[in-house]
Amino acid sequence: MDELEFLKKDWKKQGADFPKLSYNEIYKIIHKKSSSIVKWIFIICIAEFLFWGLITICIPESTFAIYEKFHLKPFLFITQILHYVVVFVFIYLFYKNYKTISVVDNTSLLMKNILKTRQTVNYYVYYNIVLYILLSVILNAVMFSHSDILIENLMPENPNMDTEKFLAINVVVQIILLAVMCGLIWLYYRIIYGILLKKLNRNYKELESLEV
Amino acid sequence: MNKEVEHKFIVEFEQNQNIIHKVCRIYTSNQDAHNDLFQEIAIQLWKAYPKFRGESKLSTWMYRIGLNTAITLYRKSKRSIVTQDFDSVLYRIESTSYDDTEEEQLKLMYKAIHQLNDIDKALIFLYLEEINYKEIAETMGISEVNARVRMNRIKTRLKTILNP
Repeated sequence: MDELEFLKKDWKKQGADFPKLSYNEIYKIIHKKSSSIVKWIFIICIAEFLFWGLITICIPESTFAIYEKFHLKPFLFITQILHYVVVFVFIYLFYKNYKTISVVDNTSLLMKNILKTRQTVNYYVYYNIVLYILLSVILNAVMFSHSDILIENLMPENPNMDTEKFLAINVVVQIILLAVMCGLIWLYYRIIYGILLKKLNRNYKELESLEV
Repeated sequence: MNKEVEHKFIVEFEQNQNIIHKVCRIYTSNQDAHNDLFQEIAIQLWKAYPKFRGESKLSTWMYRIGLNTAITLYRKSKRSIVTQDFDSVLYRIESTSYDDTEEEQLKLMYKAIHQLNDIDKALIFLYLEEINYKEIAETMGISEVNARVRMNRIKTRLKTILNP
């Protein structure tokens, strides 16, 4: 007999040695909590929306006081309104994609939909980073081009300090902060999604390679 | 979800639970992992059940959710990593009556199946369950031709292991 037919025959025979779960045992099992990666992705994504949302809300009003001196308040107000519109669009897209994830779909489609939902939140985070960098550049450009107002407001107690040096230190500190922040975000993504999506990405690539 | 639907689901699940055990056997190599995956598949089946309209056979629907959970949704819990793996194949074959060569052949084949990647495991699983290529292709979301090509490669690989 062909080896594979032999294997098939043996495969069909199995069953008697499986544990037979009773009605009550099944009842208990289906009421346990799922630990699927879709659930984890959902939780992490919501946490990310909240984190980036809260960061904007948590910045104290006093931080903005200095921008008033540069007449940047209207600019910041408009940016904020636009930002909220964009956030709502992202949340809508995320929810829409999340809803399309169905375990009954074929394997390839299921994987695509999970990765698409994840991608929405990736774009959301990229958007926040780009916004942060853009705003930093615009605000700093405006402030440093009016260095007299800046020095007056930032170091009133020491007006004799070398202003060139002061400005240089400020620019360096800003750049370092930006780099550290981007580095931390990159690390976070490597760790969290590296762990969570490793298997999915590997299997998705494998499935895609079949179709080439 | 109402009690009637729940009751119907549990009864049907109870009758067909072997399908899920088979999926778990192919994807896990120790009892803890087996139980863990079994639980996750059961939860996913139950969550999807209210939308099951019976357009496809219950078994087909179970294959699909079972494999999707094993390949895509399931993540090993810590519990299953700590436990030492045992040869899931061995303990089963011993209970059946084969001669030594046959037993050895089966052991080798099951061992080879365990070493396949997740996608190939799904293909061989559906093959062993005697699912036709059209349905295999639909379950995996690949073309029928590609399903055949890959399956032939897996079969050749298994045969080579037995007849080097």
